Amino acid sequence: MNQYKLYRLLLLLTLGYTGCKVDPILDPNNPSTNGIVQNASIGELQNMVVGAEAGMRNNLNNYYDGVSVIGREYYRFSTSDPRLTGDLLGKGSATLDNNTFYTTNPFNARYRVVKNLNILITALQNTKATITDGQRKASIAYAKTVKAHELLMVFNQQYENGIRIDVDDPDKLGPFLSKDESLNAIQNLLNEAYLDLKGNDVEFPFSTVLYSKKALEFLKFNRALAARVAVYRKDWTLALTALNESFFDLNGSLTNGVYYLFSTQGGDLLNPVFFPQDTPPAEARLVQPGFITDAEAGDTRLSKASKRTAAGTQDGLTSDYDFWVYKTNVASIPIIRNEELILIYAEAKVQTNSIPDAIVAINRIRTAASLPPYAGSITQTAIINEILKQRRYSLFGEGQRWIDMRRYDKLSELPIDRAGDDVWKQFPRPATEQ
Amino acid sequence: MQTFKRLLLLCCLLAPVWLFAQVSVSGTIVDNGNLPIQGASIKIRNSNAGTSSDANGKFSLSLPPKGGTLEISYIGYKSQSIAVTNSLSDLVVKMQEDVGHLEEIVVTGLATSAKRSNSAHAVGTVSAKQLVGTTSQPTVDGALYGKFPGANISTNSGAPGGGISIKLRGVTSLVGNSQPLFIVDGVYYDNSSIQSGTNFISKAAGQGSTNFQDNPSNRVADLDPEDIDRIEILKGASTAAIYGARAAAGVVIITTKKGKSGKPKIEIGHSIGQQMQLNKLGQRSWDTAKVLAAYKASGLAIYNANGGKTYNYEDELYGNKGLLTNTRLSLSGGNENTSYYAGVTYRDDEGIVKGTGYRKSSFRLNLDQKVTKFLDMSMNANYVESSADRGYFNNDNTSTTLGVAYVSTPSWINLYPDANGNYPNNPLVPSNFIQTRDLMTNNEKVNRILLGGKATFKIIKSDKHNLNLIALGGIDNYTLKTTAIFPAILQFQKAGNGTNGALIYGTTVANNTNLSALAVYDFKPSDELSFTTQAGLNTFKVDLNTVVNTATQLIGTQTNIDQAGALQADQTKTFSRDKGFFAQEEINWQDKIIATVGIRGDKSSRNGDADKLYYYPKASLAFNILPFVEIKPFSLLKIRGAYGESGNFAPFGAVYTSLVPINFNGTTGSIVDLTRGSANLKPERQKELELGFDAGILNNRVNLELTWYKKDVEDLILKVVTTGSSGFTNDWKNVAAIQNKGVEIGLNVVPVITKEWRWNMQFNWWKNKSKVTRLDVPAFNVGAFGASLGTYRIERGKSATQLVGVGDSTDKVDPTSKLAVFGNAEPDFNLAFGNNVTWKNFELSVLMHWKKGGDNINLTTLLSDLSATSFDYDKKGVDPSGQLANGPYRLKVFGATARPFVQDASYFRVREIGISYTLPGKWFKDIARIKVGFSGRNLINVFDYPSYDPEVSNFGTDAISSNVEVTPFPSAKSYYFNISATF
Repeated sequence: MNQYKLYRLLLLLTLGYTGCKVDPILDPNNPSTNGIVQNASIGELQNMVVGAEAGMRNNLNNYYDGVSVIGREYYRFSTSDPRLTGDLLGKGSATLDNNTFYTTNPFNARYRVVKNLNILITALQNTKATITDGQRKASIAYAKTVKAHELLMVFNQQYENGIRIDVDDPDKLGPFLSKDESLNAIQNLLNEAYLDLKGNDVEFPFSTVLYSKKALEFLKFNRALAARVAVYRKDWTLALTALNESFFDLNGSLTNGVYYLFSTQGGDLLNPVFFPQDTPPAEARLVQPGFITDAEAGDTRLSKASKRTAAGTQDGLTSDYDFWVYKTNVASIPIIRNEELILIYAEAKVQTNSIPDAIVAINRIRTAASLPPYAGSITQTAIINEILKQRRYSLFGEGQRWIDMRRYDKLSELPIDRAGDDVWKQFPRPATEQ
Repeated sequence: MQTFKRLLLLCCLLAPVWLFAQVSVSGTIVDNGNLPIQGASIKIRNSNAGTSSDANGKFSLSLPPKGGTLEISYIGYKSQSIAVTNSLSDLVVKMQEDVGHLEEIVVTGLATSAKRSNSAHAVGTVSAKQLVGTTSQPTVDGALYGKFPGANISTNSGAPGGGISIKLRGVTSLVGNSQPLFIVDGVYYDNSSIQSGTNFISKAAGQGSTNFQDNPSNRVADLDPEDIDRIEILKGASTAAIYGARAAAGVVIITTKKGKSGKPKIEIGHSIGQQMQLNKLGQRSWDTAKVLAAYKASGLAIYNANGGKTYNYEDELYGNKGLLTNTRLSLSGGNENTSYYAGVTYRDDEGIVKGTGYRKSSFRLNLDQKVTKFLDMSMNANYVESSADRGYFNNDNTSTTLGVAYVSTPSWINLYPDANGNYPNNPLVPSNFIQTRDLMTNNEKVNRILLGGKATFKIIKSDKHNLNLIALGGIDNYTLKTTAIFPAILQFQKAGNGTNGALIYGTTVANNTNLSALAVYDFKPSDELSFTTQAGLNTFKVDLNTVVNTATQLIGTQTNIDQAGALQADQTKTFSRDKGFFAQEEINWQDKIIATVGIRGDKSSRNGDADKLYYYPKASLAFNILPFVEIKPFSLLKIRGAYGESGNFAPFGAVYTSLVPINFNGTTGSIVDLTRGSANLKPERQKELELGFDAGILNNRVNLELTWYKKDVEDLILKVVTTGSSGFTNDWKNVAAIQNKGVEIGLNVVPVITKEWRWNMQFNWWKNKSKVTRLDVPAFNVGAFGASLGTYRIERGKSATQLVGVGDSTDKVDPTSKLAVFGNAEPDFNLAFGNNVTWKNFELSVLMHWKKGGDNINLTTLLSDLSATSFDYDKKGVDPSGQLANGPYRLKVFGATARPFVQDASYFRVREIGISYTLPGKWFKDIARIKVGFSGRNLINVFDYPSYDPEVSNFGTDAISSNVEVTPFPSAKSYYFNISATF
């Protein structure tokens, strides 16, 4: 064989090679988004709903720790992450970081659910599965309601930074709206959903853990959220009309409402803000002492704090009480419940000058906490303060205190534990959003 | 006619006599000191015939009647050719030592190699002697550091069973594979690091970093270092281009031992030793005032209740003196057609933490058979079984790892079990680490089979033409079982603190195959010129399947996953198919000018476009000056240059946008993955230019190899943190480029070489600097836990390994990023200095290594400070104003500046030291050669770094984010007594 022949051989090999095709390998591990968007089966719709409801719980620990520590409800001691007592409380010159877990994790987790819901909405629009138009409409309304809740959670931390509402196309995200525009958009989203739910007597083609799978019942959850948003927007009239169609019940159970659920089942989440009593202070949530000292004698809601056998100390902070709102590691966390609605009712009534109605509602709460009826002065300011106080004790640890003080411009009244600590108004906009 | 017939008859009768009338040669092969050389190869040129010398250096061989040329070679010696025409019976061949290693063969193509003196590349080589000749080594990768220039090798922790990261010539990827491709006897050798799933308990990947930190070993640990004959390291694309799309991080080519023809050679070796903590830190001392200050009245009550007693927990946890044993048997031999090598190793290493350790059994059989005149076949088979108990260390977010729990617990807390064996709860930390250590299990078990085969068809064999077809392939198959058991009785599992026990059982089955067919054609038109042409095809298939079952809510002490209240399964499959071709032409003119050009093309299902062919070219030129002009006292002067390209894939799955499963309320849902896939992703491409200069002086007793390289890694893939409001946290993009420039100097000197004395010195000096030359996304922090603790930051125009953090008024804070640069993980330089001295039957080897510069992010100190347990808490020195003690100072500035956490990780260490004595042969009637010795690893260490060991990596082999320390398994030092016998 001479060289010429060899080159012919090489040529043949190369030609033979070009016939060697490498086929793409589909993701061996997961289903693709495209398939679901184009034509989802009912089972796949259900999967997306479960995915969204499960995802709603992701990073709630970071969310609650963020708003509750800044709102001076409890301390989050953590030897493995000292920023929880440093940055969050503004220790020394520490400030909130726009690129770390307490800012980005809750933000991203909520938008991830929004993404899931947007996929669900497109899937609902396109699906050829056998669902009625009423069901299609109601299901989209379901998705919009949950989406509004998730956006509100983002808004609560971002506040004056505003948030993005239109996030459907990851390559072309909508603008950041101003604080007021953001809240208006959330309210509109809830209202759009409300119109699609109203009078639509169907069941969703999927099951949900959020209140009810009957559209007319689910509407009550939508309206409860709408009342909360209306109060944030100071739209007292809307708050009251929304309450009327929600599950608000002045004399009903305070705990009636919608909850995040947890379980010990494989792969499921445990309550992310639960620690047993008397956990060593290395990893613990301890009540900010003001919660105890500011309380009226006999307030049964003090059971939300549990006295420790030994005080816990870390990073210059000390407390004798464990955060004890959740008594087990699978306790549900409220998304919204009747106790808040009663207080929203009181607040909207005061603000619309119906003080006697407000006092009825306040006393409903006070009585439930074994306190005597309200005996303070009957001025709007005094009663607002009373409502803020009742909200502090009734909704302790539920992520409300900081937001309440902020919307009444009272952040400066929150206690400072160490000289040089700061009370933040909002979390910074995540670095990646700038 | 009649006469003719008679002649014919005569011829026939005489024919057997002709056969006998061939030339026979016997003789002795000796070295410079007239000592016999065993195992030297004696071959007849242009023939398959040959033999090797026996223990006394003797050989005998028959040549055809017209005689021939004997080619005599032995590793480490210069080859000799001797023309023989008549029979000889007392030929003495004195071999000259190849002191400059210029005769060493280094790889030039997939099936070709050349003498080092003709190589256009700076190929790193490590011989068996360098690898394990000084001391016993648990893993191959751990035995490489300092033995060739151009690598940063880091032991991730002291956990038994490996876990080592190798980076050749700087940062070559940001998220992709950064570890070199390992090829063992032609078989692609999987080097995955597979996480055991202990993150379920540690939650290390929860906040701050999403990367798992389970401290896994990497699978090259399965290879037995004792089986290895030679390692060649292709450090960059200029040499590795022939391996194409998977070669950007370099290639490590490992050749295992082969039998030599001659009588069977048996080697038996045994080492016994001990390992202990490399650097003890000590514990903070306590008194009532300190307790009160740090733990208030409640802490003081505990302290006083126990009478102020403290416990030496450092010794309790890390003070185990681990017994090390290694037993070794090998048998090799063969004849002119068959050779065989069989090796068995059993290693049992006990760790410095009770309950940890590493056991490995390895069996190897290598066979080479000349089947016919035109067909050679070889087969390699290796079976390994290993078990590593790795403890439970590294970062966590639950204060449960042994490391975090240890630093969080002041020494006055009693954690010892009572008389009934009941462990007390740790009142300050969620975990009693003594209980955890005693009761938990974290084990990796491997069964691995490696089969390789090669067939060489000699199609043409003549003076001018030589054509071989080679078929080569192999199977790499292993099962890795990870077993983590956290019994329900553990403090952090019982009474609602955890999941009432957890079992995390992982099984990974890997099944990789590769196959190549190639043709090599040598053409020598004259004695002055030769052409070597090679071309071929190659396929590679990866099939990796990991299933992790996590069972919780355990029934009693049961360890079956069905004895549990809840069970979760996770499965990850990794499939890929690669196909490629390559072609290369080498031209050698009189050994004066050697030029090579080549190209490789690769397709892979790992790319966004699976069927697209990506090309990787290469070219090199070596120019030997001395044949043209004589320059005294040089014995070698060579300039060389090489250019090449190679690739690297995106991490598996990067091309897919998927919905991932999520469990909730007894049912399963789908949620968008955190990472958005990108179907348009291109592979990363590395372009390397290498220029070098080699010189030999005084008959090569002084040898210098100087190399400069510039390596541009383009289209770097990043998992870019994307705008979270898109619903995705990350996005894959080709967005960056990094340039590495470096210099490598190898200097080999043989100052003394006499009959009795021999002294060989090897200096290796190297340095690398990287720069981010392109970045299409804003600068970002990566690879650690955030700016307040110190982090890597990828920023255009800056080093890829810079360490930054928040800074206060004393730091140079950048006004826009509000970050200050505190260091760089890349060392200023490395210097390794190896010495080998032999005197008569004594041999002393010492390998010293100085790493100058290179910083770590040390969070062990911070975590200790937070619990006021740091060993240097009350010492002074860190506060520049000298007012505060170290602990209070670090706590004070924490949040304001990351300065105290970025620490210089320079070190000097005696990596290996070994002294041995070969007992006089006459004691054993020259039947056996018995060697006894003492050796040690890391026995001497000098560093200021205030922790266990500056060589550490919380994130294992990740591309960026080595050099981060969070309460690791501390490193160990070890010594051995060795004995070996060769028959």
